[in-house]
Amino acid sequence: MLRRKQFWFAIMAILPTFAIFGWVRLFPIIETLRLSMHEWNLLSKNKPFVGFQNFIELFSDNQFMDALTNTAVIAFGAMAVTIPMSMVLAAIIYHRTRSRFSGFYETAVFIPHVVSLVPAAMAWKWIFDAKLGPLNAIIMGLGGDALPWLFDPVLSVICIIFLVSWQTLGYGVLIYLVGFRNLPKSVFEAAQLDGANGFQSFLYMSVPLLKPITLYVSVVTLISGFNVYAQAYVLASDTQGAPGRQVRVLVLDMLENSFQNFRVGYAAAEAVILLSIVLLLTMIQFGLLRGKGGR
Amino acid sequence: MTKSTRSRALKTAVGLLLAGTVTANAQDVVIWGGFPELTGYYERVAESLSGKYPDLNVIVEPIGLRDHEKRVALGLSSGLDDATILELIGSTANRYIVNDLIQPAPKGVSTFVNDDSNFEAFFQETAKVNGKVYGVPVFRGQGALFYNTDMLAAAGLEGPPTTMDEYDEYAAKLTQRDADGNPTVSGWSLRLSGGGGGIAEKFWINLHQYGGTLLEKDGDNYRAGYANEHGLAALKQYVDAVSGVKTVTVEMPADAAAFQREQTAMFIRESWVIGDTAKKAPDLNYKTAVLPRGSIALPVNLYVSGGSDEAQAAAWDFAIAANEPEHLIWMLDNVGWLPNRSGVDYSGVVAAKPQFGAFVDLPEDYVFFTLPSIEPINEILTRFAAHLVDAYADESLVGNDSAMLEVLKASAEETNKILNRAGILAN
Repeated sequence: MLRRKQFWFAIMAILPTFAIFGWVRLFPIIETLRLSMHEWNLLSKNKPFVGFQNFIELFSDNQFMDALTNTAVIAFGAMAVTIPMSMVLAAIIYHRTRSRFSGFYETAVFIPHVVSLVPAAMAWKWIFDAKLGPLNAIIMGLGGDALPWLFDPVLSVICIIFLVSWQTLGYGVLIYLVGFRNLPKSVFEAAQLDGANGFQSFLYMSVPLLKPITLYVSVVTLISGFNVYAQAYVLASDTQGAPGRQVRVLVLDMLENSFQNFRVGYAAAEAVILLSIVLLLTMIQFGLLRGKGGR
Repeated sequence: MTKSTRSRALKTAVGLLLAGTVTANAQDVVIWGGFPELTGYYERVAESLSGKYPDLNVIVEPIGLRDHEKRVALGLSSGLDDATILELIGSTANRYIVNDLIQPAPKGVSTFVNDDSNFEAFFQETAKVNGKVYGVPVFRGQGALFYNTDMLAAAGLEGPPTTMDEYDEYAAKLTQRDADGNPTVSGWSLRLSGGGGGIAEKFWINLHQYGGTLLEKDGDNYRAGYANEHGLAALKQYVDAVSGVKTVTVEMPADAAAFQREQTAMFIRESWVIGDTAKKAPDLNYKTAVLPRGSIALPVNLYVSGGSDEAQAAAWDFAIAANEPEHLIWMLDNVGWLPNRSGVDYSGVVAAKPQFGAFVDLPEDYVFFTLPSIEPINEILTRFAAHLVDAYADESLVGNDSAMLEVLKASAEETNKILNRAGILAN
């Protein structure tokens, strides 16, 4: 009798949380999946079923393919920059913990992660400005040629990779610092006795032991890279001055298709593809990094 | 407590309760606009209604146009709690009206809009769908050439260009270059980058001067109208300017900000630039000129949706009050957008700011065009813009007419595909 009561108590305790989770997490995903097979203009009461038509059309849509390519390049680019840099920075900060500036270093690296994205992107827009920006002023001061950072198709993507990495770096460093602090000291002492220098210890001991952390940081960075939007939007903004080149990314394309072109089913199909890519890549990452040492 | 004290206390309590009731009945009317510079204008209109509606609380919420469009789409499709005045271009409002998300205006408003002494037929029509009035016309976007008189004088040029060939000649003469020949001040600033369909809209204005159009109307249907000699002439002009003679480059400061900082000598824009320049560059010596053939005209109307009947009535009153001559004259003078109402004497403003002349004193054969009220108009403009951005920066297109025509044909094919999907492709 008591067990039954306990069971129902547990169910009642879980139910509100589960209901909220279902409403805010599961329902939108299921609704997106459903919408992706319908044609809907957001306003009409009719939503005719079109099967996989939206998906077929997407793969012959140049703008979508551009968005997909740009987003993938940005996501992998940001990951390639963030993982090694945050690991190295975390190692430097960790091994300098006796310095009275260690707190300052940690805060300085972490601040970009908590800074509001739009003003930060606006500031970077000015830095990258071809005519008025300090970056080109420095390049020209060193004898180089000014570069059209926000207008060249390749450079504008690099700018966004830089912005995404700048923002995610602090988070990566913080997580790696936790990882470094939890590494077993005895293993490093043994390595030192065997004659390993600092660099060798880092490369052959820290890096493999930090695999679970690397897995976590890479998943988070990759997902945030695939969801890039505000950076691309702000860098191309300013209709009265010098708008930059619009780097088409998936979220931007989805928003445009939903609320400007009124093709919600089509945008939902894009969202389903984005979800599938992120899921697939996350599974691959888990597979690759959950080797023998992984947990 | 004496009886009289108790009575006074009771009266005070009842008074406070009544006061609370009045506060709870205050009418909230929200204004969603896509032109933040109009905030002061709406606040003036709200103030003028304080006598008639002492409890009217007007909340002005302007944001950038693109975000405003997204907000309206989301707001109307999910329902609005407060009576909301929506500032919309007629072609944009049409899609909400045909889906019953914006209701017709009440009779009094309809009579006001249909009164020929208030609005010309062109503006009345943009506020109607199937003969019913849904909105109140307020102002319009209309283009003209802005040119820096000091720069023209320094280049030995008298008066503004009047043909598209002259635009090219002027641009070449007005471009200032460094020792290496790189342009430092553009002769004619063109919209070459950015998001949304603005690039295609600006291209359409130039295309119009060559006698072309982006979309050809055939009955109730449309087809791409730019893969021809007119489209080629317009694209050639852009490609030559950007990648050929380089009178302007993609990375140069552009638009109103560049004009106000004397980083460009000429550009085509709407009348709001006059109000903006008066604030940001009051000492700039410039004039305006009509375009060679005609201009775009984008009339903006006020629509009402959501809220109680009382709040909606107040909102419609607000839309009519926004057309009071004193407010319209203030808007023209201080913001620079062109009011649509007829029979208002704007001569004082035009005399004080002669730059408005190119927007109101027009040649008889001046031809206007506007964006058609079709659902996929944004998609057509955005996708065409993507082709244009690539073409402008493609140096291999310079002098290669057939390659440029191919670019236009490929884009026109895409435009027609979109029209076909929407079921409005003309044969």
